[in-house]
Amino acid sequence: MAIDTVPPLIAAQLNYLVSHCPFSVKVEQMWSGCKNPNLLDRFTLVIPYCLDFIRWDVIFNAVYPLAAPDVIFGPEDESFQPYDAGSEKFDKNSLVNWNSKDPTRLLSLISELRDAYIAYQSRRIGKVNDDRLTFEVSTMLTRQGIEMYMNSVNDKPEEVKFAVPLLDMDLNKLVAGSTWRHQQKIYLQVIYPVGKKSPAPRLKLVSAAELRAFFSIEEFKLPPWMDGMCMAEYLPTLEEMLGFQIKDAVSSIETRRKFIMALEPLFGRPVEADPVFCRRATFLASSGVFTFLVHFSISLQFPKQQPAFLLQSSQHFNSQGAPIKSSNLTEYPWSPRWEASQMAGRIFEFLADECLNFKKYCNQLNQQ
Amino acid sequence: MADFPIDKIQISGATLASLLHRCSSSSGDIHGYLFGLTTLSTPNPLSDHPTTTTSTTPTTLLTASITSFLSLPSHFPLPPPPPPSTSAVLLGWFSSRRKTPLRPSLKDSTTALSLSTTPSLFLLLTTPFQDQLIHTHEYKAFQCKGITFEPKTINIVNLGPSFRSQYDSFSPNVAFPMMDCELRGSNSMVEDENGENLANKKRNLKDQKQLDMCADGFEVGRLSKLMGSESAYTGELEDLYDKMLGKIDGLSKLVEQTNSKVLEQENHNMRLRYKVAGLE
Repeated sequence: MAIDTVPPLIAAQLNYLVSHCPFSVKVEQMWSGCKNPNLLDRFTLVIPYCLDFIRWDVIFNAVYPLAAPDVIFGPEDESFQPYDAGSEKFDKNSLVNWNSKDPTRLLSLISELRDAYIAYQSRRIGKVNDDRLTFEVSTMLTRQGIEMYMNSVNDKPEEVKFAVPLLDMDLNKLVAGSTWRHQQKIYLQVIYPVGKKSPAPRLKLVSAAELRAFFSIEEFKLPPWMDGMCMAEYLPTLEEMLGFQIKDAVSSIETRRKFIMALEPLFGRPVEADPVFCRRATFLASSGVFTFLVHFSISLQFPKQQPAFLLQSSQHFNSQGAPIKSSNLTEYPWSPRWEASQMAGRIFEFLADECLNFKKYCNQLNQQ
Repeated sequence: MADFPIDKIQISGATLASLLHRCSSSSGDIHGYLFGLTTLSTPNPLSDHPTTTTSTTPTTLLTASITSFLSLPSHFPLPPPPPPSTSAVLLGWFSSRRKTPLRPSLKDSTTALSLSTTPSLFLLLTTPFQDQLIHTHEYKAFQCKGITFEPKTINIVNLGPSFRSQYDSFSPNVAFPMMDCELRGSNSMVEDENGENLANKKRNLKDQKQLDMCADGFEVGRLSKLMGSESAYTGELEDLYDKMLGKIDGLSKLVEQTNSKVLEQENHNMRLRYKVAGLE
């Protein structure tokens, strides 16, 4: 059986797009439009938009890979027409003078189309006959990078979604040494029902999953929405609160780092530690001839919440050959007001006793 | 006609079959122009039924019938629309894509804009994502209005009583050539001068050439016999039809031969293309 292949020129465009795109594009499925079904030349791109996804089919031609691709938009976007006649984009878009040898072309096409899509959605929303919505849009437009999306049911506008990027700060730079591939941002999702009498919007904070190692948006309490409020009033309060908490989150990285460093004089240098967010550290310890690993995991609420740790024997293995581990230990003497060195000292003392229980437990398991 | 609303779209079963065949036999996606006829009809709103007569007002319906097409691979841009000819008018264009959703694409909408001065019928043909034995193609017709594609229903004209009007309104694509055919009685002037003779010969030669386009070896002179007695007429007419069929037969043989040459060349081109595409 022949192996499915993507023609090299098409593969180059696609690889460049997936690895260099500023937003995270995914390929959902690939298939063939050729007589030879092993040549894959069409695919569905999943593109993040307004905290949701849009799916566009990109149609290449395996047999004529020098030709520009075609794009089919989603079924709900049949009226999306990126290149209007007479506009500058009509004569000078990314499809004109397509150069298949330049692998950056698909990326510029997709980002150009996505920009056009943002403009298209805001044009649609501008036409909705809802005074409240029109007012909100007009006050929010001064903010950069807002994306909007209109949900329609049977061609009637149902609700309008906004994705409002919050805080004019670069989180990637704020967290020293962060390895996030994409620019991290916290968004407020605002959903306005269209044509309802009391248009209190539904609000929710959204961020990428990667951000959770640093800041938990789930634990952030949104300020209450008052009757007769508008977004222009709400957003500054929200951003102020969020800004404070982000600063706290940055300084709490340092608190955790100090704690891990305080463990060092007692346990020796960590075998492994998370150097960016300081959420995890593993030390090698011994009691007599019994050697074991101690895995610390430190929550975002540290020092209010004490670190959890578990022990893993280096000498005892279960019937599957995996090292024996203790359960998570969270109950031990602790005060968030102690100095880091005192925290470390108390843990060390607690462990000196606890490791003997663990050794007994390991021996018992192995005798069975 | 670009801004004339099309009320009905018709395509003959044979034309559609030929179009579908072209789509499935081509190596990739194709597009091209659609030709045919447009007819205006005023349906009679009068009815025997007493309730319907009062409310309806007579409106004119525009029917577009697709009778032929011209295709080329999609990676070539559509050439400028061909000049209008007497046999068929340009109705619009079509696009055929394998295994894609049945929705106009980005390219279709840019094509619609660049063709905005030409007729606005658009026929989209696709194949289903899963290969199927019976339902091999899907199609949808649209009329372009500015940047919007308005879906239209399309009727397939087949043999049968419900399409009788098709036959009533039939007009041939290629009419039999017009030529003077004098009755040359025996009492015609003997004083034919040489010059006139030469002119006659010339005209005869020209007529023969025209006739040769329709029939295979039927002398112009015999046409005059079609106006003779009834028995001679039948025989001559049958012979003329035979010769016409012979001509069509000869033409189709030529088409067959050239088709196989084209196929050979296409296969050769395909091998070269695979090389260029780095698929070898």
